[in-house]
Amino acid sequence: MSRRKQLPAAAAALAACALLAAGCGRSAGRPASQQLVSPTKGLVTTTPAGTTSVASVTWAVYRPVDSLDPIFAFDYPENTAISLMCESLLLQAPDGTIRPGLATVANPSPTTMVFTLRPGVKFWDGAAVTPADVVYSLDRQMNPAYGGFYGAVFSRVKSIAVTGASQVTISLRQPDYWLEGELSSMPGIIMQKSYATRQGKNYGTPAGGIMCTGPYELKSWTAGAGITAVVNPHYWNTAVRPRVQQIIVKGVSDATSFTSGMLTGAIGGSYFFGLSNLSQLEHSASVRVYQGPGQSTDAFIVSATSGPLASVKVRQALSLALDRKAIISNVYDGAALMPRWLANPGTFGYGRSVFTAAYDKSPELGQNLTLARKLVSQAGATGQTITIGTTSQLANIASETGAYQQAAEAIGLKVALKSVSAADYINFFTDAKARQGVDGFITVNYGDYADPAALLTTIVLPTGSQNYDKFSNPQLTMLLNQAEGTADPDQRAALVAKAEQLAARLLPWIPDVQPTNVLMLNKSLTGAVASFSYMFAPWADNLGGTR
Amino acid sequence: MRWRFLARRLAMLVASLLVASFVIFGALYLAPGNPITALSGGRALPAASLRVLEQRYHLNQPFLAQYWYWLDNALHGNLGISITLQENVSAVIAGRMWTTGGLVLYAALIILVVGIGSGILAALRPGIADTSVLVTTAVSAAVPSFVAAIVLITVFSVKLGWFPALGNGTSLGSNVRHLTLPAIALALSSLAIVARVTRAAVREEADREHVQTAISRGIPARQLIRRHILRNAAIPITTVSGITIASLIAVAAVVETAFSLNGLGAYLVQAAQSKDLAVVQGISLVLVVAFVLINAIVDLLYALLDPRVALGSRAQ
Repeated sequence: MSRRKQLPAAAAALAACALLAAGCGRSAGRPASQQLVSPTKGLVTTTPAGTTSVASVTWAVYRPVDSLDPIFAFDYPENTAISLMCESLLLQAPDGTIRPGLATVANPSPTTMVFTLRPGVKFWDGAAVTPADVVYSLDRQMNPAYGGFYGAVFSRVKSIAVTGASQVTISLRQPDYWLEGELSSMPGIIMQKSYATRQGKNYGTPAGGIMCTGPYELKSWTAGAGITAVVNPHYWNTAVRPRVQQIIVKGVSDATSFTSGMLTGAIGGSYFFGLSNLSQLEHSASVRVYQGPGQSTDAFIVSATSGPLASVKVRQALSLALDRKAIISNVYDGAALMPRWLANPGTFGYGRSVFTAAYDKSPELGQNLTLARKLVSQAGATGQTITIGTTSQLANIASETGAYQQAAEAIGLKVALKSVSAADYINFFTDAKARQGVDGFITVNYGDYADPAALLTTIVLPTGSQNYDKFSNPQLTMLLNQAEGTADPDQRAALVAKAEQLAARLLPWIPDVQPTNVLMLNKSLTGAVASFSYMFAPWADNLGGTR
Repeated sequence: MRWRFLARRLAMLVASLLVASFVIFGALYLAPGNPITALSGGRALPAASLRVLEQRYHLNQPFLAQYWYWLDNALHGNLGISITLQENVSAVIAGRMWTTGGLVLYAALIILVVGIGSGILAALRPGIADTSVLVTTAVSAAVPSFVAAIVLITVFSVKLGWFPALGNGTSLGSNVRHLTLPAIALALSSLAIVARVTRAAVREEADREHVQTAISRGIPARQLIRRHILRNAAIPITTVSGITIASLIAVAAVVETAFSLNGLGAYLVQAAQSKDLAVVQGISLVLVVAFVLINAIVDLLYALLDPRVALGSRAQ
């Protein structure tokens, strides 16, 4: 079911609501035109739960899984496999809200977080999860000696200590209400201390395996056959009864191979993204395609510290000149939304009505060439050259670069390309030398949890890990710092929304489109989570066969 | 004679391995990017974590020291640890070797049986058989293996459902079924070359004087073909078969990727992209060994086929 096919249904529901205003829930008193329409309307967060037992399902990821150690998990394959088998302190539900996971959290003071383990939580081997396991797991993330990727997440943490038989307390230097979100994601994954210390450096590798708490446990991991996970018979959460006995997470690097695997049923399901032949699968008799809220943003990273793109007006002009609708149909085959902010609306995990109201008020970033040309000439940039970093070996990057080239030339700018191999594209992100002379490049980027701020902070804060153009705006910085220390979700959302609205005008990055989360399932299967939160929390609890 | 042949071959193998390992190590060292950034997915790491990781993999040492470190370990049977997989390189290779080995063997079998068979057929049966072999080989020689892979998958697994579209099997029987389409895709263009060379070689021998003489002496056709034509045509056929089969090892990477097989070649490409030095070195060395071995076997065959050829010398 594609979004395009779902739209008429959504419109019909809206019309019905307008006619029967009295029957439309709590907001019925207001005229229909003023009601908030969720920006992700028409997308599904979950699929109907499976009803029958299935022996084995092969789940495709875009390359083989490298590591099952959460401190090294920062890409789709690793996240997919870890979130299938492991659980975090807090849980990110399919709709992005944060709920109790292995523990509940309380804030006795703004700088204290107290986690109480839920009764009965235990590892695959039956041993209970102890506060010592929690402290060890978090310390492994924080401690630079382990070389983990998430150390910066804990920058406001003063100490983490066992404070009771089932209690762990995190003391903060400053209030940090973003930490909860991080602890519902990879940084909050809990592992068994005794197992992990016994395995040492082998933890999370094929040689050492892992010891987690989730509904599926690691059975085998061989270089040849991918990762095999089977139902954990000792799962602590008795409300969950997995119906698929075995899930094999397999790397399939080739899009053609992936497509034929889905068509023949050799692959049971996948969250493959950026498929330009998605409609071929949508029209297949054996595959069902779902679109859920996404959390990633397809954007043009501005890395220029001087030259035309250092000017806000030129960035705005370039954004106004971009044909986003063409990108949505050519690159995503329909599986993306027009942007209003840098954040994907699928990231509204809290303060949802506040975010939605602000989002609805913000203008869609549409095309207006006349205004764009005016802005360029106002900035005196007509005839100047921008250099775009690109690679012709990645089809999506290449065609979006083409869209930018077209946009820039349409408004009187000249474009130079700096093309590198697919393997070297990563250097634009990591190597200042590779970025030299490059004014911008394309990315698909996401934060660690459902919060618009999760990505924005990495881009606009002066210390942000993805702030390539030395962007600094005192008002944005103030809004985000204030949000980090605001306890009330709605007030926090209001601050973040203001920051997003500002960023959509200043364009530290230029948002291209907001990809939806694409879930593909064989018609005989149903029940997988359809939203982007599969990256951070168990997604196969309800997966099963359908009659 | 035999010992000298063996010793010379062994020395050649060791020299090839040394040179190859140094060249590959150097090329990868000079290429832009570094394994840690590939590992962290481009995320900026805290300086302290970066130092820990660099120390763990000796990335902070100069080039020659890094190479010596690797060589010293390799001589002691330790091929090192994959940075991305955190697994011993020998384990990575062992897990994938049989897929590539099986695939190349299967494809070699197809090349030898179908290629040589159809070449002989075309040479001895001028007319419709010859023409159809010529046409088919012309087409199949022009089809690159990744195109063949796509066509085979579309027809035989998506449309007809006879063979699985991707992956390795779990038992011997299903392994053969899984490897059939990849082996055909891999064999197709080489098969055409072997068929063409076979046809030419057999034709040439059939026109030789001694064959004409044998015919005039009334020697039965079957014996004539086996003793006088094929035996003499065997040397060029062996040469071209050996070269094409040895080159399959390198081409296998393309086919493995297209069919999502977990073979050495497909992983070599991936490891090279993430600059996983130890894995690239380990797999390359296995491929070099295989290449040298196949060439040695071809040389042995020369001596067997033609008593005039001394072991270790070149066929004329």
